[in-house]
Amino acid sequence: MTDASLNGAEEPRRRGSIHEIDARTRKRNAREARFKGYGIGAILVGLFFLVVLAVSIVSSGLPAFTKTVVKVEFTMSQEQYDEAESTLFKTAAYSDIFIAQLRDTMEEEGVEVAFDEGSIERLLGKVGGTLREFYTANEDQLGQPVTFQLPASSRVDGYFNGRVTREGLTESRFLELTDLDLVDALADAGVITQAFNWTFLTGSDSGVDNPGGAGIGVSVVGSFFMMLVVLVLALPIGVAASIYLEEFAPQNKFTDLIEVNISNLAAVPSIVFGILGLAVFIQFMHLPQSAPLVGGLVLTLMTLPTIIISTRASLKSVPPSIRDAALGVGASKMQSVFHHVLPLAMPGILTGTIIGLAQALGETAPLLLIGMVGFVARDYPDGFVGGFTEANSAMPAQIYTWAARADASFYEKAWGGIIVLLVFLLLMNVIAILLRRKFERRW
Amino acid sequence: MYDAPLRKTDVETKNTKIVAQDVNVYYGDTHAIKDVSVDLLDKTVTAFIGPSGCGKSTFLRCLNRMNDTIDICRVEGKISLDGEDIYDKRVDPVQLRAKVGMVFQKPNPFPKSIYDNVAYGPKIHGLAKNKADLDDIVEKALRRGAIWDEVKDRLHAPGTGLSGGQQQRLCIARAVATEPEVLLMDEPCSALDPIATGQVEELIDELRGQYSVIIVTHSMQQAARVSQKTAFFHLGNLVEYGDTSQIFTNPEDSRTESYITGRIG
Amino acid sequence: MPLLWLILIVLGIAVAGFVLGRGRALKSAGGDARNLHSLPGYYGNNVAIKVIVPSMLVMLVWLVVQPLVIDGSVSATIPEGAVPENSSLGLVMSEVRRTAEGLENAVAAGGMSQALATDPDADFAEVSQQLQDAGQVVTSQLTQAVLRAAQDYREMHVFGRTIMSGVVLVLALAGLAWGLRESHKAFRARNTVEMSIRALLIAAASIAILTTIGIVLSLIFNTIEFFKLYPAADFFFGTTWSPSFSGRGGSSELGVLPLLWGTFYISIVALIVAVPIGLFSAIYLSEYASPRVRSVAKPMLEILAGIPTIVYGLFALLTVGPLLLSVFGKDGLGWMQAGTAVMTAGLVMGIMLIPFVSSLSDDIINAVPQSMRDGSYGLGATQSETIKQVILPAALPGIVGAILLAASRAIGETMIVVLGAGAAAKLSLNPFEAMTTVTAKIVSQLTGDADFSSPEALVAFALGMTLFVLTLGLNVLALYIVRKYREQYE
Repeated sequence: MTDASLNGAEEPRRRGSIHEIDARTRKRNAREARFKGYGIGAILVGLFFLVVLAVSIVSSGLPAFTKTVVKVEFTMSQEQYDEAESTLFKTAAYSDIFIAQLRDTMEEEGVEVAFDEGSIERLLGKVGGTLREFYTANEDQLGQPVTFQLPASSRVDGYFNGRVTREGLTESRFLELTDLDLVDALADAGVITQAFNWTFLTGSDSGVDNPGGAGIGVSVVGSFFMMLVVLVLALPIGVAASIYLEEFAPQNKFTDLIEVNISNLAAVPSIVFGILGLAVFIQFMHLPQSAPLVGGLVLTLMTLPTIIISTRASLKSVPPSIRDAALGVGASKMQSVFHHVLPLAMPGILTGTIIGLAQALGETAPLLLIGMVGFVARDYPDGFVGGFTEANSAMPAQIYTWAARADASFYEKAWGGIIVLLVFLLLMNVIAILLRRKFERRW
Repeated sequence: MYDAPLRKTDVETKNTKIVAQDVNVYYGDTHAIKDVSVDLLDKTVTAFIGPSGCGKSTFLRCLNRMNDTIDICRVEGKISLDGEDIYDKRVDPVQLRAKVGMVFQKPNPFPKSIYDNVAYGPKIHGLAKNKADLDDIVEKALRRGAIWDEVKDRLHAPGTGLSGGQQQRLCIARAVATEPEVLLMDEPCSALDPIATGQVEELIDELRGQYSVIIVTHSMQQAARVSQKTAFFHLGNLVEYGDTSQIFTNPEDSRTESYITGRIG
Repeated sequence: MPLLWLILIVLGIAVAGFVLGRGRALKSAGGDARNLHSLPGYYGNNVAIKVIVPSMLVMLVWLVVQPLVIDGSVSATIPEGAVPENSSLGLVMSEVRRTAEGLENAVAAGGMSQALATDPDADFAEVSQQLQDAGQVVTSQLTQAVLRAAQDYREMHVFGRTIMSGVVLVLALAGLAWGLRESHKAFRARNTVEMSIRALLIAAASIAILTTIGIVLSLIFNTIEFFKLYPAADFFFGTTWSPSFSGRGGSSELGVLPLLWGTFYISIVALIVAVPIGLFSAIYLSEYASPRVRSVAKPMLEILAGIPTIVYGLFALLTVGPLLLSVFGKDGLGWMQAGTAVMTAGLVMGIMLIPFVSSLSDDIINAVPQSMRDGSYGLGATQSETIKQVILPAALPGIVGAILLAASRAIGETMIVVLGAGAAAKLSLNPFEAMTTVTAKIVSQLTGDADFSSPEALVAFALGMTLFVLTLGLNVLALYIVRKYREQYE
């Protein structure tokens, strides 16, 4: 202890009053404030991105749920019908009758604007066909006024959404500048209105030329069957694997190998799982391409690590005293796990599974590799088995296909699809949170 | 060393360093310290003793406002250092803590080299003019911490690689390096073995020459060995405060006596 | 017999087995369950397991192996002359399979008579006409050889399936008999059932290993195939990426370097965005924020992590790209030609990674013991000095691990780069230029029309291998660092 006594005589330095903040402290405090500011700034930037993202999605996606329709009351007499049916160009005859009636209506309303067959066709497509289809099926409606809601072309839709502007319009066979005068006039007269676009929710991919008819319904069904496969496979396998690892596995090389594999698989890029699915399920096993069954298998392998990790956490949170109590009354190890530990861990397991499913629902890249691209989602599957084996797409892949198309009208559909996808994700997360709230247990 | 006789020193002639008046501390709804008033002397070792949870550590942490870092903690009353209220609005706790250093229960060297551990305080407070000056301060602090001879050849080895006793002396050296006027020690030996404890206790005695040392301990023997003044806390109350020799031989309060004789604890 | 029916029948036998086994055991104990070794249900389960497990196992293996065997034997019958120029046996075989499937469907739909479909002397023109009429996809390449092979294929397929159904049913019934015979009161049914369950649990846990093996094998085999067609040195060191769309080999240049460069460049931009924002958010949330702020801000940031990547891809393509273009494009600074660029993809990927970096760093910063902070505050350090000089150095290994994990995420990310980065492979330093990445090219090479035996498609597996090795390396390194870090404070 000679060290201390060597300097023992020295007095410690006395500093100034603590009631006066010295220059150095002031500088240090300024630095402190700056540093804290960076932290707040970082969080605000993060939240700002979230808001921008949300605003983009909502503002660009909502128009997908509405469509522009021309709402006209139309009456066709029996004579007109017979006459039209007897001509050579039947649909053209219907169109002529329609245009004549529309002209009358416009005059009554006092709107004066010139239009011809060409502009009507550019605005509404082949009206005659729609009318003829209706009247041939419902002959009893002849002679009575019927209100038709005729969907306007996607460019007219775009004019209302701001995607098509007068200034930026390039005249083409799809739309001419004079047509917009007509559109404005019709809108003023209340003939053109907005209606909810059910087709978007129930429809299928309509091909590259028809953005107006595109819908997400079929790919929602595709996603549903995929999630069914994932749920049916990933939940039992994941729970079984977790029970083994958490409750039965001895400390040995084999267990270590499994553990290492699980933690690495959790971080393997999703597209690699797509390659696996392509090579193993399609090339090797010859399972049908583009089938939700294959998609489900790939997503199962992808979500298994997530589910195993969360299931193990919930098994771990069941205190050992429960196991001891069961073993103490003479239950076998298997009985103690299945009768006591598993039911107690179930809410946590379900929460983890739902979150894993939500992750799988939003996954796109592997689906593209096994052929579940948007344009195969043309028809609803026939029956339950068909839902698994018939070629279909899934929501995110459908969105990707729309986004990758050249026609800008599809972008709005893609955003709309995202809203639908996010609504599903939100629902799943809400269920998970409610489950956790309801069954949360503190030991 | 372990059976050092109780010192009868010239405590009465020392200046008062810290004055606490009617201090109350609350943790949320818990009333942890109740109306404690005490005068703590300069160049003296004062021991706070008492059963666990009696508030002695809490009170110690009030003296350099370490309780500020705990959100739910609220301090009422007045504590002054050299006549200046340390809970005054104008006080920056950073400046206060440079004057009132602290050593903790568990040795907590930073995951840095031994040199950087000691140089940390002087660096942030700007005590060194240049590198040579800093080297000088570090060496002096390590010598005062009575650990220089053991580490002088490996100043750039990590501080976490030292033994427990060495780590605690390193932490004391680290606290001393900022040249505080008061040194608070929160059960500095509770995590150490008897030999390391002996070394640290000897060091505390040496430090008394320059600092006011306040030590919290749950070991009555330790209080008796190292301190000149002793304060006994019980259930948040300061029960008795006086010369160590008097507290241990002739306590006034019955609770103090019970504690010292081992009937409560 | 359709597969579904076979499975349902086996399940039916299992249910019957359960009831019978349970009843038999109870009867042997005189109707009093207390005389049984195990609970009655265990006897039933024992029978059911013996019915289901062996038969279903055989069925699964059969389903996987049969096509391989048939493929092998049918492809051996195809004469060498039947393989056209510019094609391969593999292509012809996929033709054969498609035709066989077409025949099957056509017969099932009634568009073709069974006799014609199986007639070895049938005229291939007639058959293909009938197939087309029945709505089955047939290419123009249908030759006599292919048709013969397809008929063989179909015959063997049907035959194999019939044998399989028989074998599976026999096994199920044998299992039933075996289980029933055992169902006696002295039989230790519980132990047997528990052993079986344990085996099932182990099998489930082993799927993780099987998946890894599956990934590695599917990558390795196809990569070897690729290197047979395309020199490995040109792949690893080539600086040009220009696959030809029509030709087969020769004209394609498939150098991986431009793709790797694009991948790294975009990842670096992403990390430059994500690391400071994520790290500072984590620091603020763990060191400064009040519990209330933390309970709001942390989940809000984590929403960013729950959003599917396709959403970010669309965000890059349609929002961020045009936005950047209006600032850096020809109307602004003139650095940018199109909305898709390294900057666009990197920025959006950075946003995606913010919560990833922040929650990992948050965990790691919280793992730094409180005594470190106390020690620093006790010396009179301010909070920021404590963070910068004590906490961050202490947490550094963990944070490095977190950043490596984020980097591996960025490298493996697909949808954002497919939509946001562009399609041109370039070796350029300009971050406003379109570039492409390994993942984007995997998608484009495997979703095009190229057939799977051409180097243009096989290169995707070599790219996948590169990606897998890269990300695996990063992950292993990161997990190792993080584990070491955690051990330090445990």
